[in-house]
Amino acid sequence: MILEMKNIVKTYGKVVANDNVSIDLNEGEILAIVGENGAGKSTIMKILYGLEKPDSGEIFVKGKKVSFNSPLDAMKLNIGMVQQHFMLFGPMSVTENIVYNNEVSRRGFFDWKGNREKVRELSGKYGLNVDPDALINDCSVGTQQRVEILKTLYQNADIIIFDEPSAVLTPGEVDELLSTMKNLAKAGKSLILITHKLNEVMEVADRVTVMRSGKVIGTVNKKDTSTDELSYMMIGRHTSQLNIPDMKTGKRLLEVEHLSMGSALGKKVLNDVSLHVDAGEIVGIAGVSGNGQSEMIRCITGLEKQYEGKVLVCDQDVSNQGVSIIRKAGMSHIPEDRYLWGSAREASLSDNFLMGEEDSDAFSSHGILKQKTIDRHADRLIDEYAIKTDGCRQKMKELSGGNAQKVITAREIERDCPLTIACEPTRGIDIGAMEFVHERLVNKRDNGGGVLLVSSELSEILKLSDRIYVMYEGHLNYEFRHGEVDDRKLGRLMLGGKADE
Amino acid sequence: MIFEWSYISAIISSTLRMCSPILLCSLAAAICSKAGVFNIAMEGCMMVSAFFAIVVNYYSGGSVLLAILAGILSSMLISAVLAVLIIRLKASPVVAGMAINTMSGGLTTYLMYVFFHTKGLFQNPTLNGLSKLTPFFASAFPELAQMFYGLTTVDYLSWIIAILVQIFLYRTVIGYRIRAIGINPEAARSLGTPVEKYQFWTMTLSGIFCGLAGVLLSMGSVTLFIQNITSGKGYIAMTANNLGKSHPLGVAVASLFFGACQSLGSFLQQAGLKGQITGSIPYAATVLASVVSSIRYRRQKEKKIREAISEN
Repeated sequence: MILEMKNIVKTYGKVVANDNVSIDLNEGEILAIVGENGAGKSTIMKILYGLEKPDSGEIFVKGKKVSFNSPLDAMKLNIGMVQQHFMLFGPMSVTENIVYNNEVSRRGFFDWKGNREKVRELSGKYGLNVDPDALINDCSVGTQQRVEILKTLYQNADIIIFDEPSAVLTPGEVDELLSTMKNLAKAGKSLILITHKLNEVMEVADRVTVMRSGKVIGTVNKKDTSTDELSYMMIGRHTSQLNIPDMKTGKRLLEVEHLSMGSALGKKVLNDVSLHVDAGEIVGIAGVSGNGQSEMIRCITGLEKQYEGKVLVCDQDVSNQGVSIIRKAGMSHIPEDRYLWGSAREASLSDNFLMGEEDSDAFSSHGILKQKTIDRHADRLIDEYAIKTDGCRQKMKELSGGNAQKVITAREIERDCPLTIACEPTRGIDIGAMEFVHERLVNKRDNGGGVLLVSSELSEILKLSDRIYVMYEGHLNYEFRHGEVDDRKLGRLMLGGKADE
Repeated sequence: MIFEWSYISAIISSTLRMCSPILLCSLAAAICSKAGVFNIAMEGCMMVSAFFAIVVNYYSGGSVLLAILAGILSSMLISAVLAVLIIRLKASPVVAGMAINTMSGGLTTYLMYVFFHTKGLFQNPTLNGLSKLTPFFASAFPELAQMFYGLTTVDYLSWIIAILVQIFLYRTVIGYRIRAIGINPEAARSLGTPVEKYQFWTMTLSGIFCGLAGVLLSMGSVTLFIQNITSGKGYIAMTANNLGKSHPLGVAVASLFFGACQSLGSFLQQAGLKGQITGSIPYAATVLASVVSSIRYRRQKEKKIREAISEN
């Protein structure tokens, strides 16, 4: 046993984040720690990496009792961590990022040749392909993650923690990551994988530790379990089957005609896109990200005004109009980037729930905000969406990613308007909350609203959509009704394949 | 007459003389911003250095070396204090820097009265200036040598320092770590670099450069201390650093540009233009240069955004 954490307790104020948590890790194995947001899996890893100190409990590394004051102590004991948010120097080269603080030098000068050689050697040894001279800013997210892994290996890590590593990757990159992890385990490294994606767990893990509300529910061998059992352990009940009744569609809520958009480099990002969303339907856009979905949504929602074509919301022509006009016409929008477009990190939850509605009569009169009403509104949404927070005055940035997503989703779905544009509405949120958001979207549709859904999760598209468009290279190539298409066929079309192959 | 060779070489030599203090100060600003610290206190550091150089010059009976040391040390001390304020105590760099600049103006005026019992200007025959170097090719090419007329050792040193800073930042391990800290301090910390320590010493090092600049002002072309001797050169250096993108060579080019503006101003004054107008040339150029550089920056940013949009 290379690592043992015994009876760890950690509290933040009144919240017990880790309640008597014990975890053990064998040499050369992959241990998955799964649990919903707020189950305590991040906390236990922060303790292991020296970012947080436990209130009580013991940690043994290679049989020796240890205590950490900072990540440096963890590093010295050969524990490395691949963080969810990368810690890289963007304008610098791959080599400079990997060797930092442990450089090959000659009389104080940075020895380029020696350092590059070390990086080559390391990347060859573990089969992690990188170009030592490439700038990080020019690298894909997948490559940047490989650099992060190489960094831990460069520091001789024997225990490597992966914190939600697939959250930022494309499907192809995920496959590569999983095979990298298997290779590392084969090479004798011991890995901990923190995730809530059970299919990844079933593919790579040897053992699985399930956490729920700060406690370890159990540890099982992968070969003795199933995704069903794991998800039951995670959320304490079986996932419900969402019942989506057939609906008759009503009047047209969104009409997009011949939308085209070019880039500064003269590339056509959107090529003659036409679609519509009617009352009482959820319309899904399936596509590999980067095929124009983001641009299309930006045009429709008014974040981008330089395009050709027409956009009508509830029969009102809002082509090339700004956001506030479009929102008034009857649209709400869950943006794909929850911090860039969706929220203000420094502002309170109340303020974030208010945003976009501040001049409506419900929340202000003659320019004066009705703070009590605003807070009540915030409290109601916090309660309904089960957002984990100290209260409506807490700052947005103090919430976990999943909870922050819930704030934005709640604000936009509960807004009184017929049409909702939902981009990645469940990105990074756990199964329980995901079901809830799905229910709300379906609820919106059942009440005569319309939803345009963009998601990189194909299962989400297939489950919710009444109609599905397939987007490829800036064009909507195919249109299907619910049940006319399966994930395999969609997957092929998303990559540019033909329908009759 | 204005196109005579002697006139042109006089403009060039005055450009070089005007350039050096700006160059030193903008290098100071450059290393600080590379380390992720916003330093605007060059004006104050330079002023304090210029003053204490004269004080020690006077009381040591004209020792140039001691005067230089006094200038450098006083400026380093001020920079170190500022570093503690900004890095350790997390004061706003703008507020703390402005405080240092304003304080040093009042402090030197007051101390001038304490030490020399005069107001406004202190000059004394016992004061020695920096030694002036005659180029080695002076006898062979007297016309060429005119362009370097009146340059002191420290003027030459400022250009050597620019090259050394370039090598330091881009070739040495410590320079590389400093740049990395400026790019992403959290990442540097996560790999075990004592970020604050690096930033502190970088700021203190920048104090040496400002100190040399101050010595140049009070012991270069003329040897005296006058109230507000820096006359905004520290702020011009800020702009030079901005224009030069905190890159030592870019900063050197920008400093030359501002040196030329200053020297042009004084020559136009000799040619009969009103002093109030010519005196404002370098500052007008500063405003213009800031505007041009920020427009350029915005264009680049917009281009990047557009590229990013098209890549997504």
